[in-house]
Amino acid sequence: MDTLLFSLLNGVIYGLLLFMVSAGLTLVFGMMGVLNFAHASFYMLGAYFAYTLQGVLGFGAAVVVAMLLAGGVGAVVERFFLRRVHHHGHAHELLLTFGLSFIVAESIKLLFGNFPVNYQVPAALDGSAFSLGGQQYPLYRLLMGGVALAMFALLYLLLTRTRVGIIVRSAIYRPRMVEALGHNVQFVFMGVFGVGAALAGLAGAIAGAFYTTSPNMALEIGVMVFVVVVVGGLGSLAGAMLASLLIGLLTSLAVGIDHSLADLLGLLGARAWAEGVGGLLTLKLSSLASTLPFALMLLVLLLRPQGLLGDKS
Amino acid sequence: MRTSISLLSGGVALLAVLPFLLSAGLLNAAVQMLIAALFASAYGLLAGRAGMLSFGHAAYFGVGAFATVHGMNALGGTGLLPTPLMPLVGAGAGLAFGVVAGWFATQRSGTAFAMITLAIAELLHSLAPQLKGLFGGESGISTMRMPAWGLNFGSTTQVYYLTLVWVLISLLLLHFHTRTPAGRLTLGLRENSHRLRFLGYDVHRLSVSAFAISGLFSGLAGALQVLANEAANYVVFDPAVSASVVLNSYIGGVGVFLGPALGAALMSFFGYAVSDTTQAWLLYQGVLFVLVMMFMPQGLVGLGGLAVSRVRRLGAARALPLLLAWLLAALLLAAGAVFLVELLQRLCSQDYRTLAAQAQGWPPVNLLDATWDVTSVATWAWPLGLMALGGGLLAFAHKRLRTPEDAA
Repeated sequence: MDTLLFSLLNGVIYGLLLFMVSAGLTLVFGMMGVLNFAHASFYMLGAYFAYTLQGVLGFGAAVVVAMLLAGGVGAVVERFFLRRVHHHGHAHELLLTFGLSFIVAESIKLLFGNFPVNYQVPAALDGSAFSLGGQQYPLYRLLMGGVALAMFALLYLLLTRTRVGIIVRSAIYRPRMVEALGHNVQFVFMGVFGVGAALAGLAGAIAGAFYTTSPNMALEIGVMVFVVVVVGGLGSLAGAMLASLLIGLLTSLAVGIDHSLADLLGLLGARAWAEGVGGLLTLKLSSLASTLPFALMLLVLLLRPQGLLGDKS
Repeated sequence: MRTSISLLSGGVALLAVLPFLLSAGLLNAAVQMLIAALFASAYGLLAGRAGMLSFGHAAYFGVGAFATVHGMNALGGTGLLPTPLMPLVGAGAGLAFGVVAGWFATQRSGTAFAMITLAIAELLHSLAPQLKGLFGGESGISTMRMPAWGLNFGSTTQVYYLTLVWVLISLLLLHFHTRTPAGRLTLGLRENSHRLRFLGYDVHRLSVSAFAISGLFSGLAGALQVLANEAANYVVFDPAVSASVVLNSYIGGVGVFLGPALGAALMSFFGYAVSDTTQAWLLYQGVLFVLVMMFMPQGLVGLGGLAVSRVRRLGAARALPLLLAWLLAALLLAAGAVFLVELLQRLCSQDYRTLAAQAQGWPPVNLLDATWDVTSVATWAWPLGLMALGGGLLAFAHKRLRTPEDAA
């Protein structure tokens, strides 16, 4: 029971983290129609910035500065790269961001080495929050969840309650009209792109300390984030939230299940046959944890191609 | 038309005599170049002609490779087919998997399509290490080329000719496909799929067929790689394989039939040539890709066409020196940038950091058979000077090469 509770909590927090990265991605997509392949690179940049600055500034300040730096890099990418190729169409923009993500990953391999760096949770935060049935729950995990929740509250209030939010939302909906009303839509685009990158950077700076910070982290989370936005529905913030939590829970629960399809077939009396076939049928669900999100995605595409909360278009 | 045909036959003749000109090591590299060229052409059919961006083409390559390995090991090691026909197994597997994956992926178009292909590839990539029976786990599966048709396939030369024949046949078939009604409709998918639908075509079926044909030739390329290496490992599903085919194809230029093939051959040649001297080759490849995407969307092949049109407009006497200056400028810029990157790489390497910690200072760095003092201004002035010179020359040549038609 305790284990189940722990994995539920872990799943929710991993889901929140995924949402932090995918929120920016889906926001940018809804606004500009650009799928930013380099989005997860900002996550990685955030982690590496924070790792580098940690010694100079201390953990808290390093995280904040890393977030700002990642946002700055995002704004530069929008202003000087994406805007230049905008007239070639979305496919071209996608390819450009793909190239940029490649460059970021390779530069990091070059500068920091192709192995995980020693970026760790500071000692002050490295305690346990509570214990249940003799098991300690790390405080830092709760902190990650808390930061993510605070971010959403802030983002939500910003988008729905402020003047800036009104302009951003209308720029998503009718960019030309907003421009005609005298707002600088290009600047709004750059701002949203930068904020999305900063969010990803913050997620990276915080999560990098807990999970591993390595040149592969962008690809690992990037693929997962793509699954999230496809499952949730492209451009839908609520869909991204739902899908993030779903995938977070799915992966963390699956890790704890040591059963295979053969066990299930065993209930029907076909265990011997299944074990004879082997392969996929005898693989334990726990070892399939990283595969399940992709299977979920294919299932969603089969049953509801526009995503859970996406518009049919 | 006549020039392009004579160019092509010259190219084929050159490929045919290569084994007499090259050492065994270089011939191996040539085999890899041919395979990369075929893979990129298969990708080009999907990305260039059908306008569907796939970021997970390693899946079809890998499925073809593993099907071939199992085909070669089947029947107690004698193989399902004679060795020269073995690529058909890979092609069949690529086609079959392409139909299944394509059916899913082409449910959506554009961006979502790209992500689905990526996820399908990741699905295989994460599953492959778990299924040891099928994919051989860490060590992979090895096999042997069985003698057939009086050939023993023991020498690199024989493998080279086998690969060459298959690649040429495949390229001819791919080219033939562009001439068929189905190939024309593929182009229609890219240009205006709504119109195709109004004309009564089943767009989903057309997309799946384009996807499957691309999968077929990717699988064939995978099969050729297995024949060349006599082994397959699940690293063929690595995202880096998918990434490199995207980079290669677009660097070459997907708008022209042979563009992806030339890009892939060029890139894998450089990859082979510099892999011992630099660790940053992938970075250069990425930078080149981004430069191509930003400044010459037609790819490097398009650059040739641009040069020809300049010569026609300005006359050879005026255009040729300027084009040469442009080329020199590009080389200067590249030299400066590469020098800088290599210097930085050495400064950031683990070895150097240990050395620096021991010496409590900045020990000199070895690069290009010379020692460079890191603290001296000259070391840094060299690359920056090269780049400034190249940039200036580039701006000059670029301005002079512009004609009134460009401004209009």
